[in-house]
Amino acid sequence: MGVKVENVVASVTLNQRIDLELITKNLENAEYEPEQFPGLVYHLTEPKAAALIFGSGKIVCTGTKSVEEAKRAIYKIIEDIKRAGIEINDEPEITVQNIVATANLNAELNLDAIAISLDNTEYEPEQFPGLVYRMNDPKVVLLLFGSGKIVCTGAKSVEDAERAAENIYKTLKELGLID
Amino acid sequence: MNSRGGEKLVKREIEYIEVCPECGSRKLEMDYERAELICSECGYVVDDKFIDPGPEWRAFDHEQRIKRSRVGAPISYTIHDKGLSTIIDWRDKDGYGKDISPTTREQMYRLRKWQQRIRVSNAIERNLAFALTELDRIASRLNLPKSIRETAAMYYRKAVEKGLIRGRSIESVAAASIYAACRQCKIPRMLDEIAEAAKINRKEIGRTFRFLARELGINFKPATPIDYVPRLASALKLSGEVQAKAIEILKLAMQKELTSGRGPAGVSAAAIYIASVLLGEKRTQREVAEAAKVTEVTIRNRYKELAEKLNIEIDI
Repeated sequence: MGVKVENVVASVTLNQRIDLELITKNLENAEYEPEQFPGLVYHLTEPKAAALIFGSGKIVCTGTKSVEEAKRAIYKIIEDIKRAGIEINDEPEITVQNIVATANLNAELNLDAIAISLDNTEYEPEQFPGLVYRMNDPKVVLLLFGSGKIVCTGAKSVEDAERAAENIYKTLKELGLID
Repeated sequence: MNSRGGEKLVKREIEYIEVCPECGSRKLEMDYERAELICSECGYVVDDKFIDPGPEWRAFDHEQRIKRSRVGAPISYTIHDKGLSTIIDWRDKDGYGKDISPTTREQMYRLRKWQQRIRVSNAIERNLAFALTELDRIASRLNLPKSIRETAAMYYRKAVEKGLIRGRSIESVAAASIYAACRQCKIPRMLDEIAEAAKINRKEIGRTFRFLARELGINFKPATPIDYVPRLASALKLSGEVQAKAIEILKLAMQKELTSGRGPAGVSAAAIYIASVLLGEKRTQREVAEAAKVTEVTIRNRYKELAEKLNIEIDI
């Protein structure tokens, strides 16, 4: 089953303090309002991504569509920071924090029936039209919708997201909730 | 014969006779007025003149039950000490009903004062007492029956035991317990109504409810649109036929999976609307929308969906 990665969140620490004021002065696309939020928001256009840069030297990069893109974005951001006049010595270590992916089961789902026969589900049509299913292996959270589309969040790798989609398809099939 | 023996006898009878000896049906019914065990399929009287172990009085609601029951005070989860503690009476009379001497009266006055202070012994109990009054206040505003208050109080107590209140307001947990109890007892109230009565944000209650359900490990079945039908119908002063028709429509809709992922109140309102039009007791979409606390657009969308998929023809 094909899953489409919609968002990758990756983080990196530079192990040194960063002067955010200096970045704001020297870089465009940098928004820094310490009154509102302690981090600096930095937008990239290629690859399209947004990053939060903190004074502690930690960077969180969001909005990219693949792990490679996220890495590329982070390297680019670090280059930009260097350009702004900050010395960085360490080789950054990038960790993927979260991957959001979508998939389609190509079948209408009866969420009521799923809510009754599966454990760890949350289905409150009054509050949200989707059914929330917390999977233990891989440890992800799936949103199932009546149209058969699913969203997988919390995966640490693309493989996890794919495995989760496979698993839920199998489980639903076994329970006879999908044909 | 004492009633306990009678109960045993009848129970044994029921357990023993499960199948109608005439037609083999398992649908046996007890008719307490005639004291007969009747097969509801063929009408054969399986057994008669059995003993009714229940009380000789009837009660139709909680108040009547309290008035007529002659046994002691039941424990109640809605009072912080479960209603088990003793209270010093406010009447200054002794056991014979005589007035007591001024010195004893003074002493009793002081004792009473201290007892009231001691009754809520520590901070935990004080919090519980406060929460339970809050619970009762919300339930009163929603006109909820005693059984729901008891269930809600049970949930609240469980939440306290598991230490789930920490980081949440007492009010929001109380409101979520009430919502949970309503769901459990199948008389769903909409979150909006509870939010209004409790004066808490609807989202906050929803979040707390989901948290409670997860932490207490209770899987609440999703509220079905059918649960809302009687309420809506009576709010709109619709007849029983309309109710039955609406339920019929909803059952079909659920079979065809038209309700999946849709808010139960909206679907229910649309079914009521269709039923009212079909049976010539038309209510406007606006009226139905107001009663169900959804928008007219929701009703229009749902009713078009239902009418189309279920092949119901409506001319307005």
